[in-house]
Amino acid sequence: MRITIRIWLALTTIALMSASGMAAAHKASDSFLYLNSGPTELRMDVALRDLALLVSIDSNGDNEISGQELRQARPEITRTIESALTFSNSSGNCGLAGKTWGISEHSDGVYSAARYAIRCPDDEPPEALEYDLLFGQDALHRGLVSLDYNGQTRLAVLGPDSRTLDLADKDTPSYFSVFKTFVYEGVIHLLIGLDHILFLLVLIIPATLSTHKDLTHGVQSKALRGRLLELTGIVTAFTVAHSITLALAALDIVSLPIAWVETVIALSIGLAALNVAWPVLGHKTWKLAFGFGLVHGFGFASVLGDLTSGVSDLAVALAGFNLGVELGQLALLVVGFPVLYYLGKNRIYQEGAVPVMLAGIGAISLFWVVQRAPLF
Amino acid sequence: MTSFNKTPRGRFSRFLGPVFSLPALRGRTFWLIAIFAPFQIQAAPDAIITEFRDDEILTKLPNTATEIFRETDSPKEAGDRLQMLITQARASGDPRYLGYAQTLINRWPDEQLTERLRVLRATLRQSLHQFDSARADLEQVLSSSSDNQQRIQARLTLANLELVQGRYTEAGRNCQALQSDYPGLIAKSCLASVQARTADPQKAYRNLAQQLAEATGRQPADSTSRLWTEGTLGDIAAQAGLPEAELHWRRVLQASPSDLYIRAQLADWHLEQDQFERVLTLTLGFEAVDTLAVIRAIAMKRSGHPGSDELIGRLRQRFEEARWRGTLLHARDVARFLLDVENQPHDALRLAIENWESQREPLDTRLSLRAALASGDRAQHQRVSEWLSQQGQIDARYPEFKQ
Repeated sequence: MRITIRIWLALTTIALMSASGMAAAHKASDSFLYLNSGPTELRMDVALRDLALLVSIDSNGDNEISGQELRQARPEITRTIESALTFSNSSGNCGLAGKTWGISEHSDGVYSAARYAIRCPDDEPPEALEYDLLFGQDALHRGLVSLDYNGQTRLAVLGPDSRTLDLADKDTPSYFSVFKTFVYEGVIHLLIGLDHILFLLVLIIPATLSTHKDLTHGVQSKALRGRLLELTGIVTAFTVAHSITLALAALDIVSLPIAWVETVIALSIGLAALNVAWPVLGHKTWKLAFGFGLVHGFGFASVLGDLTSGVSDLAVALAGFNLGVELGQLALLVVGFPVLYYLGKNRIYQEGAVPVMLAGIGAISLFWVVQRAPLF
Repeated sequence: MTSFNKTPRGRFSRFLGPVFSLPALRGRTFWLIAIFAPFQIQAAPDAIITEFRDDEILTKLPNTATEIFRETDSPKEAGDRLQMLITQARASGDPRYLGYAQTLINRWPDEQLTERLRVLRATLRQSLHQFDSARADLEQVLSSSSDNQQRIQARLTLANLELVQGRYTEAGRNCQALQSDYPGLIAKSCLASVQARTADPQKAYRNLAQQLAEATGRQPADSTSRLWTEGTLGDIAAQAGLPEAELHWRRVLQASPSDLYIRAQLADWHLEQDQFERVLTLTLGFEAVDTLAVIRAIAMKRSGHPGSDELIGRLRQRFEEARWRGTLLHARDVARFLLDVENQPHDALRLAIENWESQREPLDTRLSLRAALASGDRAQHQRVSEWLSQQGQIDARYPEFKQ
């Protein structure tokens, strides 16, 4: 008794420790169903090892499956697989007509592979699939389905608790909903991302400051048009620049270490602030906006990257996110610019508030630089 | 029951077709998928092979006896089969056995479970990373069972579960309870592990080594307790940065070569010291086991081994299929692969943290720290570091973290 306790103990203990690292090594049982053209075509792959639980393939019992044994078992294999699949539509159940049969290889070994045409009574595509293979032997078995609709792929998983699949195209996550989601995310990111807002603010401050000439001559309308033009130039440069790098990074064409990107973004705010007082980087604010806009794009991309894992329509997501960022930016300008413009006529604002703001922003920027620099 | 089943090996060696052929998708879809490489699923299959020879061996079948699928009313028989399947899953690293075990236990309604079946179900759930439901089963056995053997079993299983999850107070409590119900080297190992992860690993190591020496001196300790203690000593030595780790792990491996956990620990140890040849020897023939295959791939890549591209391609396909399935039981392995092989620190960090939410063994923690550093994510790095400080955990394997 004592001994049995100990053995069983050790079994579980050792195993338990292993469980954390090893549990899902190898691969759980999966079959693969590829549906396309309507879907009127099916390709189905089932692991030989799994099939051997249902069909006696290994006729000589040597625990190996030879090419010959597999060929001999083919009728039973196809019967087993076909009876596990039920395609149907409103006209009734559909039939499967075998086209090609052979083997294929997946990450865990050799599979039996077959291609079928799906024929429904009314010659229309099937609308539903019911799947019941191997669940009686392996509760963790899954049917992995890939549904192809005109070049767009939808993936699904069939399990013991979800044996049916609606094949109709209607519930494919639409481009529009992906787009909408990412427009929203873009707006949110711009509005809660204080660093982008501060950078933008610093960029537009010069455009809000009235020059002496403007004041004395009082040619407001002309000055306003000029400033709006300047503002448009700055914002466009910023937008074009960060759109370029956002796309490059999101599409994995260029990749930069995010810690440095964040540091340079922080630095860009301070430099832009400095440039207002002492134009060390030149008077052309739009050039500054463009240059640092490139870096800000990489910052946006890292957020986008966090959001897009599992999203297949990356281009749509990218477009939506970018548009969201622009909308957020525009909203900010629509609200912020008139206020600053109005304040810009005030001498206290010009000579008091602006320097204080710039110094404050500069300090925040330096603080961020220190905090973000990946020197830890 | 004591012998381990032979691991089915080399299942990949026969068909060395294109390792990672590009998907046969057309136009835009192809580019979208190809561009967003990290986790895009290769949904289009390779072509069907219709030409194969009659004498070609396509697959080797494991010794899965057909009787495991036969229905039974006997809890003892069901328990024996369940235990065998779980053991087989562990020794081979093959989750299909867990699937068979799950089918078996699903046939038993909750109210009909015996204490033993419930403990086994908890063990299975733990293997499937269903930690909360495993804990519930164990606590139920501990609160209601009068069967001492099952209580001890449940206690030990629970102590280990808490340890794996980094809940050291609970782990310590269960180790104490184990010490009073079943005193001996296993309970002492349990306590030493908690001490090592919350206080001083050097001291924990010295104490446990001394206890092992004393126990062996008094009377030859039974081999399972002794090996279990050796394994624990290896783990604690590695944490303390002592070279003795290798010696302890080697002793365990010599006695049970199919202990995949210890094999992985040792392989990782050699990898850390750039002893690539040793890593390759230890992992040879274990490419089917994700943890070992990933360590092997890293060693191959770092040493410029000619076989690295092939293995990396296979792992990529394997992880893509796992991704499609939707359940990533082996998030740690995938994260490590992304970090050290694919050079995608952001995706690696996401997975490493996802894994760290439920598993906080030193190697899980190290991976989270490394991924956070590589992707420059200060917040996550700080989060993990703070947790380590709270626990008082020091580990020589992550010196980047300073207390």
